[in-house]
Amino acid sequence: MKRRVFLASSGLSLVLAVAASTAAWAENATLKIGFVGVTSGPAAAWGISNQRSMETRAAWLNELGGVKIGDTTYNIEIVPFDDQKDPKRAIAGMEKMAQDGIHYVVGPNVDDGAAAVRPVAEQNGIMYFPYAFPKELYTAPASNAILGMVANYQSGPAIYKYLMEEKGVKKVAFIAGNESDPLSQRDSGSAAAKALGLEVVSDTVTYQMDTTDFTPVLLPVIQTAPDLLVLSGVSPANAPQLIRSARELGYTGLISTETAQDAAVLAEGAGELANGFISVGGASTPELASDAMKEFVTRYTAMFGEYNDESNTKVYALEYIIETLKANPAAIDNVDEFKKTMDTFSAPNPFMVGDAKLTYVGTTSFGQKRQVSVPLVVNEFKDGKFETLFVAQVD
Amino acid sequence: MEQILANGLYLGAQYALIALGLTLIFSLMNVLNFAHGQMYVFGGFVTYTVVAQLGLPFIVGLFASAVVLAVMGALIEKFLFRPVIRKSKRDESTMLLAAGIAFFLDAVILLLFGEKQRGVPKVVDGVLNWDMRIIMPYDRILIAVLAIALIVGFILFMQYSRTGRAMRALAQDRVAAQLMGVDVDRYSMIGFALGAMLAGLVGGLLVTITGINLGMGGPTSVKAFLMIMIGGAGVISGAIAGGFILGMMESVGLTLLASYGDVTYLVIFVTLMIFLAIRPQGLMGKPWG
Amino acid sequence: MSMPRLAGVLAFLLGVFVLVPLVIGMTGRWDFYYTLTSVALLSVAAAGVWLTFYIGRINIGQGAYALMGGYVSAVLMTQYGVSFWLTLPLAGIFCAAISVLIGLPILRLRGVYFAMVTLVLTEVARLTALALPITNGAKGITSIPLPGELSVFGMTIIPDFATLENPKLAFYLMAALLMTLTYLILWRIVNSRLGHLCRSLQQNEELSASIGVNTAMLRVLAYAISSFFGGLAGAIFVAISQSIYPSSFVVQDSVNFMLYCFLGGLGYVFGPMLGTLLLYFGWDLLSIAKEYQLLIYSGALIALMLVLPNGVLSLLDKKGGRK
Repeated sequence: MKRRVFLASSGLSLVLAVAASTAAWAENATLKIGFVGVTSGPAAAWGISNQRSMETRAAWLNELGGVKIGDTTYNIEIVPFDDQKDPKRAIAGMEKMAQDGIHYVVGPNVDDGAAAVRPVAEQNGIMYFPYAFPKELYTAPASNAILGMVANYQSGPAIYKYLMEEKGVKKVAFIAGNESDPLSQRDSGSAAAKALGLEVVSDTVTYQMDTTDFTPVLLPVIQTAPDLLVLSGVSPANAPQLIRSARELGYTGLISTETAQDAAVLAEGAGELANGFISVGGASTPELASDAMKEFVTRYTAMFGEYNDESNTKVYALEYIIETLKANPAAIDNVDEFKKTMDTFSAPNPFMVGDAKLTYVGTTSFGQKRQVSVPLVVNEFKDGKFETLFVAQVD
Repeated sequence: MEQILANGLYLGAQYALIALGLTLIFSLMNVLNFAHGQMYVFGGFVTYTVVAQLGLPFIVGLFASAVVLAVMGALIEKFLFRPVIRKSKRDESTMLLAAGIAFFLDAVILLLFGEKQRGVPKVVDGVLNWDMRIIMPYDRILIAVLAIALIVGFILFMQYSRTGRAMRALAQDRVAAQLMGVDVDRYSMIGFALGAMLAGLVGGLLVTITGINLGMGGPTSVKAFLMIMIGGAGVISGAIAGGFILGMMESVGLTLLASYGDVTYLVIFVTLMIFLAIRPQGLMGKPWG
Repeated sequence: MSMPRLAGVLAFLLGVFVLVPLVIGMTGRWDFYYTLTSVALLSVAAAGVWLTFYIGRINIGQGAYALMGGYVSAVLMTQYGVSFWLTLPLAGIFCAAISVLIGLPILRLRGVYFAMVTLVLTEVARLTALALPITNGAKGITSIPLPGELSVFGMTIIPDFATLENPKLAFYLMAALLMTLTYLILWRIVNSRLGHLCRSLQQNEELSASIGVNTAMLRVLAYAISSFFGGLAGAIFVAISQSIYPSSFVVQDSVNFMLYCFLGGLGYVFGPMLGTLLLYFGWDLLSIAKEYQLLIYSGALIALMLVLPNGVLSLLDKKGGRK
């Protein structure tokens, strides 16, 4: 008897949950944009900052009365799916998006997920914006993926070159976690450094993602006495610990990475030891952020309690989708139209001061325009904040 | 060389403390607590909240972690494990429950404390530099000393206190202990609370050095499993030995194998498998756990 | 075969091969095909885990064999141009062979010790895939072709998946067929002499050895069959995602396979199938709960365990149903 009551009540609560979720607002038509990424488990920070920046922007646009695409005004609805960083789940997520009639999806966050959803996306006419770097996702015959950020093989050389010329760096060491994404980034970073004429003194040391003490990991790297230590594809959780261990071992050279980081996390985890740490970010440093960017940060903080600096780079994908749809309303349920528009698309970048543009790029790296043009802002950490080191563009 | 040993000792001390709680719970109830890592993370976040958010001294944070986790452990034992163990046909069924609790704690941690990496400011500043042969920051030394003190305290408690003796009796032979008048339910609960408290304490200690994030739970559990396997499941001395051995293995292995790059951990894990295949009960375990 | 049992089997086949496509066709929930395909494949791997439970071993290493099977299939297809249909049994056999090598020493372990070694095995498999050149290391293997045509004497038995209008349905039918066969085999094993011997291992290994059962041989055999299933499931997943990475099957997957078995019920052949359906499908359905998804999922898991600690299928026991 007790068991039956339990089963019945759990069934009932499920039904109620379904009912609650479908009772949405009316008035404007709804444009659904998907998000497939990791929002639980060890890598949750990546996906959550992604999803939240989309939700913040969507709520903001809806508050302003929606988005006018063609003759119709739409409210934006974000449909999230947690893939738990499992490529098998990511496929299920993409199938769900197809089922919901969604044609534009942001994510997945990692290499294996991005590769796994490709068949589904191509069969169902979905454009997706992964945060993963493998080139085969974006080069022909693949055509439905658009890189949502600057790849490390684009930012890495720019950073190394800058540091060579400005700081006299000669010897570089690489260290990476033993997972696909960091290792691939290490390999391409090391190749880029060699191409620039830098001496790579160490690029074989790896660490388990769950390492709690990086001193033994870093010891052999520090002994090679590099001028620059590159933390390839480092996760925001590991970065402060690596920096701290390296500094405590007496390392005095430069430390850099090509992934986005969060200033608060660095400040808490490494304090002033993180000063001088070089990373890549969006346009949220005071010199570059437009009023729109500042308002975005305020709204994000109001909605979720705390801002995450990684969101600076992750605000763009949704903006690109909406602006491109505005430019060609026929693309709303037809990605071929979207692809056509991509070649010529251009709109002002609302998040950056000056006359920066939103365009699609990537011809040099992929042979076709399959990347959003995000300003490549190289930051330096200083006393709890990021300061702009230099700004570059990817073509 | 001195540096490698010092690193190994430091790692070993923290590992051993994590393994102690796990092995205690295992020896008392034959439960492989998959949620141990999550408890460690929870403890870390409690200390973080008390120290970084409320601005109270570190020692208060540690105390809070210990209390919160002990209460949590006691409740989990009383309301979850006890009824399931009573009703299930096979001992292993508790593994599903433990995994469910691990997921649940993961979810709670995400909702309560967020997804970001957290850390508290250093407790003590400065780095010990002995002639470039050993470089060890003072806070690490402090944490290692505290960890070792806790381990010693735990051993003394198990050896000489009434509760400790009762728990050891329980671990040796549940039925016999019951017949001798040991209140099995009570001591199982205390044991579980103690195990959870140890996990929380390690979390609190390490949040000052490595920080904490919600993803550390699962891997920490797995590492703790490895340690108690090396030493022998359900044996206190085994857990300590296992912790120090794994710490040393990592420290030495990483240095020796650094030039081979990607295979370092492969070698460490394969060595472990071979060791266990040759000596199935670990160093000091009862055979067949 | 008794009448009610026959009826049960028929109902199952009808449900899987007729009812599911019919309902999906009617409701238009095409995304359920992939979810159900996953359930079928994962339950094939879980069937293997269940078999090792049956000889009294907690196996948290099935992810290793799924990964291995996936890589065997992927490498054979992309580097040697072997047909997918041939790589499928090869993947299974390869995994079974490796599992004999690994199983001989480690199957001497019992209880949590065996469990832990297999858990390490999953991580070893991932690191090996990262380190080996043939697996293409961290970059994984991508752009793997869809399963091609299978023909015997010029007669097309299975058409080329790439030419199909609906490969989703094809994958579903393939996975469902494989699942049905797997559980048929499993059921046969359990109800044969081999099954009785396995049960004797589960209850008391020394005793069964003393009455002349070749326990070592039996353990390795069960483990090899188990790994064969794991390899098959992995290979088909690779065909669906057309890519494989070292992280395609990880420790979490191995743990999940074990949980599926527990949830369904260790005493019931069809336990892992039901467990997989409930846990995997349940997670998907709960995605509407957004940030509370994991909370509700794990809460339900704990509640189920409290109510039915011997698995969902133990519900049948009370009514005196079949075992």
